[in-house]
Amino acid sequence: MQSTQRLVVIGNGMAGARTVEEILARGGDFTITMFGDEPYGNYNRIMLSNLLAGVEDEAGIFLNDLSWYADNGITLHVGTRIEKIDRTHKVVIATDGTRTPYDKLIIATGSSSWTPPIKGIHNPKRGFHQGVFAFRTLDDTRGMIRYARDHERAVVIGGGLLGLEAARGLQNHVSHVTLLHAMGHLMNMQLDERAGAMLKASVEGKLGVDVIVDAMTTEILGKDRVTGVKLADGTVIDCDVVVVAAGIRPNTQVAADSGLTVERGIVVDDQMRADGEDDIYVVGECAQHRGELYGLVAPLWDQAKVLADHVTGRNAAAAYTGSKLSTKLKVAGIDVAAMGLKEPETDADEVIVYSEPRKGIYKQVIIRDGLLVGATLVGDNRKAAALIQAFDQGQALPEERAEMLFDIGGPAGEVKPEDMPDDAQVCNCNGVSKGAICGVVNAGCKTVNGVMDKTRAGKGCGTCKPLVQRIVEWAAGGEVEEDPAASWYVPGVPMPKPELMAAIRQYGLRSVSSVFAKLVPGGEEDAKSKMGLASLLKMMWGEDYVDERDSRFINDRVHANIQRDGTFSVVPQMKGGVTTPAQLRRIAEVAEKYAVPMVKLTGGQRIDLLGIPKETLPKIWADLDMPSGYAYAKSFRTVKTCVGSDYCRFGVGDSTALGIALEERFQGIEGPGKMKLAVTGCPRNCAEAYVKDLGVVAIDGGRWEIYVGGAAGAHIRKGDLLATVDSADEVITLTGRFLQYYRENANWLERTYAFVPRLGIDRVRAVVVDDSDGIAAELDAAMDASVGAYRDPWKERAEPVTPGQFRTSLPLVVLPQVPVRVSGGVA
Amino acid sequence: MTVTETHCPYCALQCGIALTPEIPRVRLEPTEFPVNRGGLCAKGWTAAELLDHSDRLLTPLVRKDPADRTSPLREATWDEAYERIVTAIRRSRQEYGPDSVGAFGGGGLTNEKAYTLGKFVRVALGSASIDYNGRFCMSSAATAGNRSLGVDRGLPFPLEDLAGAKTVLLVGANPADAMPPSMQYLDAGRAEGARHIVVDPRRTATAAGAYRHLQPLPGTDLALANGLLHIAVREGLLDEQYIRDRTTGFDAVRAAVASYWPERVERMTGVSEADLRETVRLLATERPSMILTARGAEQHSNGTDTAQAYLNLALALGLVGRPNSGYGTITGQGNGQGGREHGQKADQLPGYRRLDDPAARAHVAAVWGIDPDELPRPGVSAYEMLDRLGTDGGVRVLLVLASNMAVSAPHAGHVIDRLRALDLLVVSDIFLSETAALADVVLPTAQFAEEEGTMTNLEGRVIRRRMALPPPPDVRTDLQFLAGLADRLGRGKFFSDDPRTVFDELRRASAGGIADYSGITYERIEAEQGVFWPCPAEDHPGTPRLFTDTFPTPDGRARFIRVEHRDPHEMPDREYPYVLTTGRNMQQYQSGNQTRRVAALTVSLPEPRVELHPDLGRRLGVADSDMVELRTRRGKAQFRARFNPGIRPDTVFAPFHWGGDQAVNLLTDPALDRHSKMPAFKACAVAICPAPHQEGTT
Repeated sequence: MQSTQRLVVIGNGMAGARTVEEILARGGDFTITMFGDEPYGNYNRIMLSNLLAGVEDEAGIFLNDLSWYADNGITLHVGTRIEKIDRTHKVVIATDGTRTPYDKLIIATGSSSWTPPIKGIHNPKRGFHQGVFAFRTLDDTRGMIRYARDHERAVVIGGGLLGLEAARGLQNHVSHVTLLHAMGHLMNMQLDERAGAMLKASVEGKLGVDVIVDAMTTEILGKDRVTGVKLADGTVIDCDVVVVAAGIRPNTQVAADSGLTVERGIVVDDQMRADGEDDIYVVGECAQHRGELYGLVAPLWDQAKVLADHVTGRNAAAAYTGSKLSTKLKVAGIDVAAMGLKEPETDADEVIVYSEPRKGIYKQVIIRDGLLVGATLVGDNRKAAALIQAFDQGQALPEERAEMLFDIGGPAGEVKPEDMPDDAQVCNCNGVSKGAICGVVNAGCKTVNGVMDKTRAGKGCGTCKPLVQRIVEWAAGGEVEEDPAASWYVPGVPMPKPELMAAIRQYGLRSVSSVFAKLVPGGEEDAKSKMGLASLLKMMWGEDYVDERDSRFINDRVHANIQRDGTFSVVPQMKGGVTTPAQLRRIAEVAEKYAVPMVKLTGGQRIDLLGIPKETLPKIWADLDMPSGYAYAKSFRTVKTCVGSDYCRFGVGDSTALGIALEERFQGIEGPGKMKLAVTGCPRNCAEAYVKDLGVVAIDGGRWEIYVGGAAGAHIRKGDLLATVDSADEVITLTGRFLQYYRENANWLERTYAFVPRLGIDRVRAVVVDDSDGIAAELDAAMDASVGAYRDPWKERAEPVTPGQFRTSLPLVVLPQVPVRVSGGVA
Repeated sequence: MTVTETHCPYCALQCGIALTPEIPRVRLEPTEFPVNRGGLCAKGWTAAELLDHSDRLLTPLVRKDPADRTSPLREATWDEAYERIVTAIRRSRQEYGPDSVGAFGGGGLTNEKAYTLGKFVRVALGSASIDYNGRFCMSSAATAGNRSLGVDRGLPFPLEDLAGAKTVLLVGANPADAMPPSMQYLDAGRAEGARHIVVDPRRTATAAGAYRHLQPLPGTDLALANGLLHIAVREGLLDEQYIRDRTTGFDAVRAAVASYWPERVERMTGVSEADLRETVRLLATERPSMILTARGAEQHSNGTDTAQAYLNLALALGLVGRPNSGYGTITGQGNGQGGREHGQKADQLPGYRRLDDPAARAHVAAVWGIDPDELPRPGVSAYEMLDRLGTDGGVRVLLVLASNMAVSAPHAGHVIDRLRALDLLVVSDIFLSETAALADVVLPTAQFAEEEGTMTNLEGRVIRRRMALPPPPDVRTDLQFLAGLADRLGRGKFFSDDPRTVFDELRRASAGGIADYSGITYERIEAEQGVFWPCPAEDHPGTPRLFTDTFPTPDGRARFIRVEHRDPHEMPDREYPYVLTTGRNMQQYQSGNQTRRVAALTVSLPEPRVELHPDLGRRLGVADSDMVELRTRRGKAQFRARFNPGIRPDTVFAPFHWGGDQAVNLLTDPALDRHSKMPAFKACAVAICPAPHQEGTT
């Protein structure tokens, strides 16, 4: 098209390609030709240090791959260098002689790594000496990585941002890195002396890089390849890789050769046009704007926007007026952020400094006329994001200047009702104040739910419920009435346990479904309540309980313990932990016959057969022909015993016999939680009776102590002494009475270690031992009934209660088999 | 005493309420409807006060002197009102053509009314000039959803799914203030250890309760999203399998986000690198995760692209279409969802069909019993229409339903000038709103509790609005008004004023469309506690969850779309050095036409307050509760200051619920999103100083 202008871009780096993107985004109507030195699309140069450090791969650093140029109709000449601009004829001339005409020209030649004058750094044949690298391009980086792979010691010349990142990256490839910096402190462009010193300590201490400052490198040693470097003071550092990161110099040769104004860079105006030129723009590191050169991406991209606005005519008034500078060091573990001034410039500048050398933390902010004009963070970057916004946006600054350096305050703690004014809004949704809540409480409503219903507090989003509760508690002065639901035995039946039991008796409810039907308004069944109800009914009705299988947990339904992989474990009863050769032989035979993957002694002195598929359970039980050890249910589990007085030198009571008697009597009794017992023959407590739900300890004189409410699981508690009695019979009686009292009064899943402290041992003792409530006889009778109702659940195997009871319904995944460890030689 | 179960008149949650007509006032209680489950916010609890409010319009009003709009309004009969409207319409069509008569609708209209309004303009007026206030609300997210997912349904899953998400990123969303009963789902998640990350320049109630609060500079939400995706790419957090199997176009997006490295995004947004990393890691690994956007992200001149950027992120992490996962936008207005599906939009026909699609035109024309060629072409968007009122080629006679643009449109001062330039302005409302006060003819309309119909809430759940009591004697529903007007224009045979009849026609018109309602009946809605569209047949169960297997795009795949950060249309500069953003207060709804009249709400929040950081207050020399003046290139307004240490010091916030001198939209920037035509409500440059009159007194 006639109207389409020819746009030529010299340079295909981050500035040139970005500028073209901005032009395309503005719908600029150009035929675009780009010349790039490097044989690639545009990549993200600042990610080269990540590439060197191995945290980024090459694919990840490309911003524009070659297809992007094609997709946007851009002719890209890679590896082609422009030698001269013929401004008169508006043509650029490449080194190979080709001439490309332009209507608008953009120079984005960037800059090159600067090489300090060091003896031996160059090799006339191959540019750098063997083993010396610049750190500027993808090829540099690739070469460095390749070479460093089989070399050991590296020296980096230059302690600025790039040098530090190079040093860190090289640590990935060589065993030792030394950083040489010609100036007095690291990152001297961005940091003051103290910050630089702090950084040096961190780089040495945390990264293990040797840092030498004031180190003027004078010579590269080594004939065919690098073997070391020599400093001005004569120091020689052995090394086989040298990386030069001593700064950059703008590429201005083509501009200078073509007659453009070049000082340190190519001089541009606020529209990014070369000095005095209408059709030649300059962008990026090669441009000198108002005396400044920029070497960071953000300013380059700011320039690109202005250039694009202007060259496309989108905004002829667009002007670049300079950029605020900020940098962050990309070195893991070493936090450095710096922006604006590194030091105050006038006496009026306000400086706030925090320094903690032991931790390598240094923070400084510089304020002028209420604006943040400089900030430095070393060792702790957490405020970097906030400071950079304050710096860039010119935000108003806090009166407490320390807030700029630290996160102060944090979220307020829990509000205390007494500290709140009466008109403080508690429920935002419904605009309910503390005063309104207190008014309702004072008027007599003392349940949390009741207050919520009356005031609507907490009835919107509900977020304020905890606060409403605290206020109600405070306002009621300790007379807060419990939310009735909190006292319900199970969540699905609105009754506390005693009332529930009374109602069950009154109506003769013998099944879980009948309880729901009779006692729940609407009769709705609640799955979460079924197990608790089943347990309670079984306790109350004994053999008259009508069992409904779906009210049970899988463990109870198949009388085995489900394992992580969906198989089950089987634990035969072994009363008091005492067994016989015949029993052991039978277990061994069964284990072999069914190739039981693992046979293990349990903590309750029994033998556990693990890894049984569900459908094998009945056969195993048939072959074992032994009662269940109840290792699965919310029920009486086991009585652990020591060897007692028959064999033990210390034993003072026959703990084994008593343990067997207890287990004989209470086997299979269900309850709100597990009941684990122990009997130990002396206070040495070998059977751990002090930490059981009920533990019996023989003491001198043939007497027994009974402890209740102990635990040694996730929760550890020593039991409380319930009573000291004179005979084993008394132990059995009190055990039965205590267990029954627990069964009737504990909430579902409430273990004795919670139950006993809830009521207090004094109260428990009063009821169980002293019969303060006159219910001892009732408790004993109820327990007798339960004992009488006991059926060995393993007898179900012959006639499954439901057809699917023992069929596998869970996916069986194979667990790694633990080999059965053969004892012998084990201490 | 009859109890009527219906829904709250306000926001898009459409909480269930039960109304019992009692003396002296209708009793209103929340129900256990699956959205609110017994909860209700202060606005909802007091909604019954609207029904017998003394400000209520009870008869039509017309200007005493028809030729002089400054003359007072007087009561009139419906016939008189119709007469004036019909005369003006006839004259305008004759002199300026059919497009000179237009309508402006609202996201509060029932589906039946929104549908009828769209049909009325096309069939009774033969005009292309229709759009609605949803353009100022949901259009950006809607456009992004349509482009990327092939459908625009705000939440593609029920609200309850929020509770099951372990990580939720809320971008520019403040449900704790805007729709409190929804917080129970987020709170339930929090109780289970879910982590919520709120992106907002202001520490809102939602942000205060969240796991993390990210406070980006307004207008940089897109950069934030691209920055998160950049990290996801770099750290290998993408769901490559999902991208391969269920999407197209990722390569271009991957290339775009390459230039959003964390240091750069930190500087652009002010969100720290550590927070960026943690956010995307949580989204990618602590699943299920969700990304929800709302107006804070969407009401920008790049709002569509911003919503798209978050969609890109959700797709790249493989969230969309998985349980308790995905991307959603939180619709604001009561029927914001249904209102944008059935033809109120300038370019749209019922069922989310496109007006420029010949097949869609043929289908709808057949349902309507007209020739497809009679259907006008697409018209211009809301602000474009308002901007041209009374000018050559612009609308001359405008019908306004359920909208108060004198308060809610951007650059409201200009919009008021344009409204004044009309030949005739007709406003239907329940109160004399700021817009109605400018009108030549004001029509009293029935309220939520006085009519039947359906609404579609933010979940895409179609629900029933039921009549608990009849409207006052001289008050009519908008269906009655439109049917009556059509009749007087000789097009009455095309229109019904019976909601059920209209709904059944809507079902046929939407059949086969994206938003297919054909299987939904009033009976099903009542039996099933709402039905989720699409529901193409009466034996179809409805679609609570979209995208589980496929996307409604031609190839069944979701589309990634490359998007780039652009600075807001107006950046702070020397003259206007701060950013003004707008939003909601908990006690008020939309333009405040209803909630400002409820005593309980006004007592707790009597006036708009501009929120600013105490540090900014100190710089400006103002104290908490001082009056300050906000000035932008479009106007100035005075507000009382509320110091808020939880807002960025470079940003001020003002609520948009008030009119007159304190309408914040006198200040906002009408620069439009190029895709959705959404105005840039959420970021413009502002200057702030102590209010001048106060200087004199101190």
